Order: sequence, then C-alpha cells, then structure tokens
Amino acid sequence: MKSVWRQPLFILGFGIISFFLVGSFLFEWIFGSIPKQTFFIEENGRAVEAPPISPYWNHPLGTDEFGYDMFAKIMIGAKYTILGAMAVAALRMFIAVPLGYVIGTYLQRQRSWINGIIDPIHYVPMTIFAVLLLSPVLWMPMEGFTTTVFERVVIQVVIMAVITVPIVASLIGNEANLLYQQEYILAARTLGASRRRIIIRHLVPQMREKMAVLYGQQVVESLIVFAHLGLLKLFLGGTLVSYDPMFADPPKSIAYEWAGLFGNSFRYLQGAPWLPLAPAISFALVILAIAAMIEGYTRATNGQVNMKRRKKMKYVSEEVVEWNQQQLKEKLVLLESNKNK
Amino acid sequence: MKDFLKWVIQFIVALISILLISGAPLLIAGFQKGEFLWREYFEALKFHVVTIMNIRELSIEYSTGRVFKEVAVFPKIIEYMTYSLQLLFLALGAAILIALLGTFITMMFKERARSRVKLIFYFLESLPDILIITLAQLMVVIIFQKTGFLVSKIAVMGDERIYWLPVLCLMILPMIQLYRLSMITFESEERQSYVELAKSLGFSKSFILFMHIFRNAIISVFFQSKKTMWFMLSNLFILELMFNIPGIMLFMYENISGLLFLITVLSFFVPIFILYSIGEWYFIRRLRRGEAV
Repeated sequence: MKSVWRQPLFILGFGIISFFLVGSFLFEWIFGSIPKQTFFIEENGRAVEAPPISPYWNHPLGTDEFGYDMFAKIMIGAKYTILGAMAVAALRMFIAVPLGYVIGTYLQRQRSWINGIIDPIHYVPMTIFAVLLLSPVLWMPMEGFTTTVFERVVIQVVIMAVITVPIVASLIGNEANLLYQQEYILAARTLGASRRRIIIRHLVPQMREKMAVLYGQQVVESLIVFAHLGLLKLFLGGTLVSYDPMFADPPKSIAYEWAGLFGNSFRYLQGAPWLPLAPAISFALVILAIAAMIEGYTRATNGQVNMKRRKKMKYVSEEVVEWNQQQLKEKLVLLESNKNK
Repeated sequence: MKDFLKWVIQFIVALISILLISGAPLLIAGFQKGEFLWREYFEALKFHVVTIMNIRELSIEYSTGRVFKEVAVFPKIIEYMTYSLQLLFLALGAAILIALLGTFITMMFKERARSRVKLIFYFLESLPDILIITLAQLMVVIIFQKTGFLVSKIAVMGDERIYWLPVLCLMILPMIQLYRLSMITFESEERQSYVELAKSLGFSKSFILFMHIFRNAIISVFFQSKKTMWFMLSNLFILELMFNIPGIMLFMYENISGLLFLITVLSFFVPIFILYSIGEWYFIRRLRRGEAV
C-alpha cells in the first residue's frame, strides 16, 4: 500500500478538517466562547451600518442581527458539528459492522428475507424519520427540559446512529456474502476453518478499506442530516424555545453549532445573504474535505489489501521446522544416490 | 404465483414496520421520563389504524389564538399529496433523462478526458442540498435586483403552484448521482467481450452504445437507483420547507404527529413501491428469457 500521505487530495481534505477542528478549540481558548459584538459602524462620527453588518476586513463573514461576529461563531461551532457527525458515524459503524458480518456469515440462507424486511426503510426519508424521533427529545417543552444538555446530545447521537443501522448492516452483509464466493475463502473452508476464523482472518482485513470509505460516507450523511434538522429548528443538544407571549426570542441553539446557525438565519437570505451562506458553505467545505479524503484514500490503497504479517504458528517450533528440513535433505540425498546407481 | 405471494407478504411487512415506527415518539418520550409506555404505544398504533381506515373523517386541531378549531383534512390532503408527488416524479424523470444523456455524451470521449469529468462530478455530488437551494434562491433574488426580471417565485404564497425552480433544485443532486452510477455501469459493460466483438464487426461506437451497452446497463442502474430515491425524499422535505411549498411534507411538519407521519410516508411508499416492483418484475422477466442483448 502506498502511503495516504503522498496523496494530495487526502492531505487537502485532512488539512481542511484539522483547520476547523484544531482552529475551533484554539479559537475558543484564545478569544473565549463569546463572539465579539459590534453594535454599529461609525464613519466620521456618524453610524453608517447597524447589525447585521455586511462582511468587511474586521468581520470577514459579517455579523448577525445582534452584532455578533459570524466568523467567530463559525469557528466556535465547528467542533460540535464535526465531532457530532463523527460520533454518529462511529457509533453506527460500531453496531452495524459486527451485525453485517453476522448476517453475511451465519444467516446466509435467511439473507433474502432479511433484505426484504430492511428494504422498505428505503422509502422512509431519513430526515423525516429523524425529525419524528427527535422532536420529543430536542424541542424544549413549555415547562423546560427535564434532561441535561449532555444527555440530549447522547440521545440524539444514539438515535441518529441507530435509525440507519439496518441499511448499513445489510449493505455489509451483502458485501461479505460476495466475498464468500471467492476461491480463497472456499479453500479456507475446505481446510476446516471455522466461520469465526474466516471472519477474523479473511473478511475483516479484506473489507478494511471498504469500511473506511463507508465510515467517511456515513460522516457526510450525518452532517447533511444535521443541516436538515437545523433548518427544522432541531439543533444539536436541544432547542431553547422562548414561550414568552410578548417578546419571544426566536428558537435558540445551545452552542453555536452550524446547523443552528443555518436554520436560524435562513430567513435572512434576501437581506443579509452572508448569514445563511457562511454556515452552508462551511458545511459544504467539510463535506468536500471528507470526499477528498475518501478519494485520496481509495487511490492510495487502490484495491490492495494490507495484511499484517502472519504470526508464526505457535504449534510449530523452530526445531520442528529444522528437523523437517533435515529429513527432507536426507531423503533427497537418498533419491539422488538411488538415481546414480 | 409464488413470486406474487412473496410480494404481498413483503408489502404487508413493510406496512407493519412503518406502522410500528409511527408510534415510536411515544416510546422515546417515555424513555426520557424513565418509563416504558408500551400500553400507550399499542393504543396509539390502534388509533392510527382506525383513523387510516376512515381517513375521510380525519381532522386536525388548529389553534388560532386561544380558540382551537377542528379542521377536516381530507379533501385538502389529496391536493398536498399530488403536488409533492408531481414535483418528485418530474424531478426524477428529468434527472434520469439528463443523466443518461450525459452518460452517452461522456462515453463518446476518450478515457483520459472521462476520468477528469468523473472526478469533477465526484466532488459536485458531495455538495449539500441546502447549499444548492440557497444559492438558487439567491441567484433569483440577485437577477431580480439587477434586471427587475423575476425568473421564478422563490416562495409559495397561498394556493398557487410553482414548478420549474423547485424541480430544478430537486433534480440536480439525484442527476449527478445517477450520472455517476450509470457511468460506472456503462464503463464496466464496455469491457465485456461482446462489445469487443461488435467493435471488430465494424459497428459504430454510438450504435454499440445505444443498442448493446445501454440495454444491459439500464437494468443494473435501475436496481441501484433505489438509494437515489431515498435520498430524493429527504431532499424533497427540505425543498418544501425552503420554498414554503404546500406539499404533504410541509403539512406533516407543521402538524407533526405519528399519525401524519404514517400518512405521509404511506403516500410516498405505496406508489414508489408499486412502481419499483413492476420495474423489477419486468427486468427480471427480461433477464430470464434472455431477451437482453
């Protein structure tokens, strides 16, 4: 396998993601977690622009309707969104991969039935499914939340991970089943390898690259669902709703995660297009970065399997091997001498 | 006959699983309080089934100020459904057409040029739909501000219907997906020996593409397009929201409940499932008879 670090696409993607992630933590550490607020811009002693202020050198992405700097909000929010999507995808893979191997290995006969049952999930749009299940968790009820932010984040991640587990698992099951028709697995089975051994020695290393690519795709998918949920005012970690009948604030996101930034500012598209565009483009950048990483990774591995060096068999010690070689030598010598006669 | 029975069972299983999902918010709400509300869950499921049976009497509570009004849903909901389905199928049709056309054109290129085109489309595919819709709406606004010409309305007011801009927005991403999918299948088909034979017999490239490769590749494209469909449904939801389109999904979102979720999902599931089943049946029959050349 060629190193992924020689692939420009991979490095580009990795660079963008680490810029957002590392930058996000650094930014909060240096500037604090409250973005800079500007109330108006003065020019020759007269206020010329009130928030939302359009982008200029002091606020590269402009400010929101309360004068908070958009760039700071994007940077502070980056870690929640990116880490959230990664957590969802990781949990999903963690559940779906073993399940997929089990479906592909132990349930081969029942596979067509399992696929038949899982198939209808393809008609339930992922976002609607997530909205239905997450609204009771994330939308603040009249009397306030009964759960803490951390609990809500965990529940959201778990639910989002679980809802597409069946589809991912059946996908992996089908892939594994394709491998079972390969000759080397047939050979291993003939030699008496148990199913567990086939999974560990053959399926796992053979599918490692595919799993990495699948993980990347799952991260992208979760990011998109986050964005959709943001538009529906369901934010990561819950939505603060003001039930004040007179001066109700708009629904608020608890952190500055991007879904909330986008969902809350979409209605300003005509007046202040930088407000929804900044988070939307950030989403697009991260997704493109992951796509670039996947492409670079695929090019680096290019279908080759990186098997770890086989451990020496424990049952066969060095002496036995040497003894065998000696025996062979002697027999050969005998053969030679017989021929010479 | 056996196949048909299997199809019916699959259909019923799918209906039941969607029904089971429709009650799930109750379970989650209970879980948050640390209770397991299984009795309420089954009550809700029963209620859903009964209401679906007499959907004509279904009504929704609207709160206008402090007064709660019961509004009958039935005749209106059909309009919502048809509008959503119209948008979905118009976009799907357009996406398939353009994707296949694009594939034909690209297949006429040389290998090197093709791989570059494919890389560009790979990155285009990963653009999020919210960005595409946002940019499309912004573009319309900018064109209007600069020239005073309104290309299309970007939000629906009242009962009017807008078509071409939403369809365009809904179409772009599925089109790119289908294009990449059909490029992959066409290219793998191109390496088959029958194509070599046809080439050596002196048939032109476009003839081979259309008469031979297309017929075989379309089957595999069809079977893999399900995922695109799934993806499109999520997009449609977002689209209805961003354009304020009075479709079934927006209606569901505004009055979100397990029951409306069930109705909404069914209104998409039934036509699409039947369509795909017919397609599968047709293609498999053609494969078995060996009619595909």
